[in-house]
Amino acid sequence: MTAAALARREVAAPQRSRAAVASNPKFVAGAAILLFFLVLTVAQPLLEATLWAGRMNVYHPQFGFDTGIAHPSAPSLDHWLGTSSLGRDVFSMLVYATRPTLVVAVSAASAIAAVSLVLGAVAAVREGWVDAVVTHVSDAMVLLPPLLAVYVLGIWRPSDAFGALHVGLSFGLLYGLGPATATVRTAAQAVTVRPFMDAARVAGGGDTWLVTRHVLPHLYAHAAVQAMIGATGAVIADAFLAYRSAIGENVGFGMMVYDGIVWSELMAGIAPIPWWIMLAGAGGITLLAAAFYLIGVGLREALDPRARSVLR
Amino acid sequence: MSSRPDDRPRVPWFVAFLARRMVWALITTLIFVAILYVVLEVWVPYSWATVQSGGNLTSEAELREAVGLNRPLPIRYGEFLIGLARGDLGASFGGTPVTTLIGGAIPVTLTVFLVGTVLGWVSGELLGRIGSWNRSVASGSALSTLGIASAAIFPPFLVFVLVFTLREPLLASRDAIGLPQDSLELWRGVLTGQEGALLPSDVWWVVALSLSAAVVAALTARAVARRIGLRLIEVAALPAAVIGAALGIWLSGLGPHALDLMYRVDITVTTGRGSPIMALIGVALLTFGQVMLLMGAGMDAQRDEDYVLTGRAKGLADHVVRDRHVARNAIPPVLAGSFLTFPTVLAGMMIIEFELEMAGLSSVLFDAIESQDIPVIMGILVVLGLVGVAFRLVTDVAIATLDPRRRGVRA
Repeated sequence: MTAAALARREVAAPQRSRAAVASNPKFVAGAAILLFFLVLTVAQPLLEATLWAGRMNVYHPQFGFDTGIAHPSAPSLDHWLGTSSLGRDVFSMLVYATRPTLVVAVSAASAIAAVSLVLGAVAAVREGWVDAVVTHVSDAMVLLPPLLAVYVLGIWRPSDAFGALHVGLSFGLLYGLGPATATVRTAAQAVTVRPFMDAARVAGGGDTWLVTRHVLPHLYAHAAVQAMIGATGAVIADAFLAYRSAIGENVGFGMMVYDGIVWSELMAGIAPIPWWIMLAGAGGITLLAAAFYLIGVGLREALDPRARSVLR
Repeated sequence: MSSRPDDRPRVPWFVAFLARRMVWALITTLIFVAILYVVLEVWVPYSWATVQSGGNLTSEAELREAVGLNRPLPIRYGEFLIGLARGDLGASFGGTPVTTLIGGAIPVTLTVFLVGTVLGWVSGELLGRIGSWNRSVASGSALSTLGIASAAIFPPFLVFVLVFTLREPLLASRDAIGLPQDSLELWRGVLTGQEGALLPSDVWWVVALSLSAAVVAALTARAVARRIGLRLIEVAALPAAVIGAALGIWLSGLGPHALDLMYRVDITVTTGRGSPIMALIGVALLTFGQVMLLMGAGMDAQRDEDYVLTGRAKGLADHVVRDRHVARNAIPPVLAGSFLTFPTVLAGMMIIEFELEMAGLSSVLFDAIESQDIPVIMGILVVLGLVGVAFRLVTDVAIATLDPRRRGVRA
């Protein structure tokens, strides 16, 4: 094989792996869970227009209250996931809370991908002090848990000043500068020593050409994995902030868990534990977080056959 | 390796390696503190003056002027760094020195972090190694699900489940062992200023220090035994030392009180809903999942290498190939990867500790966050960063010990 053919094959490697991604069970499972929640967010206006039409005084996620029964009530035909201690319909809350959580996850993932791709690629191509600075900063950022930092940033700010988008972007920036950049930079270093890089350089390619045409295509997969694993953390962080009422959102997965825990402690031995509201909240967090984690791990396995595991 | 042409005195790799990593640790810590300072002083919208003035903008401006918050950022940062170098983290907005607050809370946090991490590592490494090796799809799926669940679970909910399921069994087993009932009086004596009272932190320190001393002694004995070829001591040193230390603590009379502390479900070190045992299980679970998944992937990446075939051709037993050859090659990337999960595991640990209402750093930190007490937040995050640096140093040394290629200049 000539050097040119070898180079062409190596550059083409990222494209060949799409089929491997689509057939990876973890990726498919994660995508299916994500799709389910996407359907839920679309279902909200539909349900309000049809099934809940004219009954929004009962099914409103924030102000709904069913005067006919005692709260919290267990799942029934009227309330598929029961009601909360304040009389809100839990299914309606679950659907309503999905959208801000998805905003957090997507904004965090975008920030992580952008930060880690730019810094990782630049550090690998421009060796010397640029690389040293990026490496040291990412090493230092790994020491700062983004969840705690976002907790500090979000406390006492109203939701229009620090809402889902802000939580996602600040979490993504902090995680992106830390573990994500560290990982992507290592991957980029492995790319820069490949023969096609020398070939491109000899052919007269400048830094911009090298980065955009030869380094970045090999890094998208690594950045995507980091973005997904970071989004897992962002979902949990957002839920924790809502749990501590540290951000202004009125209805969130974390708040639902809080409602359930507080109620079951308050009424220990008096009333049964309202497991439905806790399960809906914790289930929403865990399923969404797991969806992003599964997509991330699935991508890693599909794109790097050596990382494939029977632990699936 | 035969004779070397150069006759410079050769420094053991360990010394040179550690010296280089210490320089790295110092630089990283300085950068970390600088980033933290920028995040907390620039990004956060309030300061001591905001809190003291209670929203009054005129008096806030006067207060900023009076305490010097108007001076340029680099000068204030310089003062903070000088204080940090002297071990002074400033005072909380309430006036208590931050070091006092941290000093009282750190034994609990360090114990939970260290013991939980070790438990999680040992179990995760073991199950990842075996689960990946025997290629059973059923056990692989079960372990995988557990690992992903541990990464995706909501820590407050995990604590609720732990308290809900373990509370009664723990109380029953504590009665069965017959632990001293008066240890609580000893802690209460501290609160009332009684002479000779036993501080909870004393117990934590005694247990932590004696156990780690035993482990260090055992590892040294093991290394010596390996060099002179005493197989029995090599294998038995570590378990013997841990059992010996535990027995010593128990017989000294401190042990039952310490175990009682671990068991306190009704009234823990402070007041909480759960016991330290639950915290250890929770933290261990977080670490376990990450390590197990990394270890499983690492084992799979190694199993088709040529040296595995060579080992089998030599007639080595399956578990020898697995434990002595493949696992040894699989562990270094797991160590490196586990450092990148440090922020996630640490945040999870803080939430678990807080939800169990233990008297650790998390209650101080979360109280400080919710009362906007910047110096305390800064101090605790710096200390947690130092814990992270120490964690990284330990993993680096472990990697270099296992993999001689990583002892060089570009570690």
